[in-house]
Amino acid sequence: MASYDLLAPATVDEALTVLRVSPPGEVAVLAGGTDLLFDLEGGRSPARHVLSLRALPWRTLVWDGPTLTIGSTLPLRTLENDPGLRARIPGLYAAVRAVGSVALRHRATLGGNLGRSAPSSDLVPMLLALDAEVELVGPAGSRRVSVDRFVEGSRRTALGPAELIRAVRIPEARPSAYFLQRVRPFHDISHMAVAVAYSPTAQRWRVAIAGFPPRPILVPEAEALLRGPRPAAEDVVRAAEALALHAPIVADKRASEEYRRRLVRPLLERGVRACAREGVRA
Amino acid sequence: MTSPPLRLSVNGRPVAVEAVPVSERLLDTLRWRLGLKGTKEGCRTGGCGACTVLVDGSTTLSCLTLAHEVEGSAVTTVEGVGDDPVGARVQAAFAAAGAVQCGYCTPGFVMALTGLLKERGPADGFDELLDDLAGNLCRCTGYASIVRAVTALREARP
Repeated sequence: MASYDLLAPATVDEALTVLRVSPPGEVAVLAGGTDLLFDLEGGRSPARHVLSLRALPWRTLVWDGPTLTIGSTLPLRTLENDPGLRARIPGLYAAVRAVGSVALRHRATLGGNLGRSAPSSDLVPMLLALDAEVELVGPAGSRRVSVDRFVEGSRRTALGPAELIRAVRIPEARPSAYFLQRVRPFHDISHMAVAVAYSPTAQRWRVAIAGFPPRPILVPEAEALLRGPRPAAEDVVRAAEALALHAPIVADKRASEEYRRRLVRPLLERGVRACAREGVRA
Repeated sequence: MTSPPLRLSVNGRPVAVEAVPVSERLLDTLRWRLGLKGTKEGCRTGGCGACTVLVDGSTTLSCLTLAHEVEGSAVTTVEGVGDDPVGARVQAAFAAAGAVQCGYCTPGFVMALTGLLKERGPADGFDELLDDLAGNLCRCTGYASIVRAVTALREARP
């Protein structure tokens, strides 16, 4: 028998009120539930109230010129099926397809992935490389915070106790790519992953790596070695070497540090080459 | 803690289920309250796909879905999927290919494939179809005959 009740308010104000009037830690926020339900079933969550976001009007996807805003409760499969995503932000398309299985993605959400902030997230590294921002709504109104500041560590975020994630904003579509290594190519957890993107407006590269604790990170040392939409082959090799030597990669139960440092080089090289090809097409 | 009756449409028929705990998974409601035991419990962690059903047409892991979260939705299980022309084609293809060993994963595969074909439409999507079935596991490793069934569906596409 459950030790919690399930609330599904129809308005954002009601949802925020539930958070505001409840003692910290007593409310668990439910989006798709594909991760949260493990905690609820295992009794690991002390939640007395589960706040479902299912009735809130946040299953949205809006393109505004180069900007894409994704509502926090939009199922990942709906995002994946948007024709614009695959054509304009191929790295995010690949990262979304790296999450679970199709049936899981029909319920899992971008807001849930960010809010739960697992170190193995396939979406966070790509959002970092796209300079994405999280739109939060709370008692004092709404605010925006970069994904880099929002994701603080393993299962730790900058979300306030009375705040909800409303949307994720990607400021511009970019040539982008996401490459990973796992035991199985689909429906598995990445041992090592590299997200890369080239900003045509800022004329700079973004490189994020993931798959190990505490959280996915940007690696400016590698970014600085890549110049222009089609970097010289020797610069790509130097960036890959810098990544393998200097990135704060660690071992965990899934893979050794040495193995990950070997993986990160070809993954970066493939990613940059894929972006450069897209840039030529665009 | 319980809630008001849970209202669903299951295989085309409206149902109202009393006294469903808020923590109950759709899988358990289907199997133990509605007696629809074609939907299988495999891993109960979203890893195997044996519990796949359609919720409003979308493939859904019923083990990772609270029943009350799909209140008001149309749920299709393997018991009802044959009423759908695409589902009937998938079932026929599995039967013709002998794509069954112990049979435990079969309902999940049939539902996953039916959902994919309906989602993508006849004109598109066969290239990714096998990738998109990666969420369904067959512990007998009887994949070759399952791939034959998928291939037959692909070749028979309108």
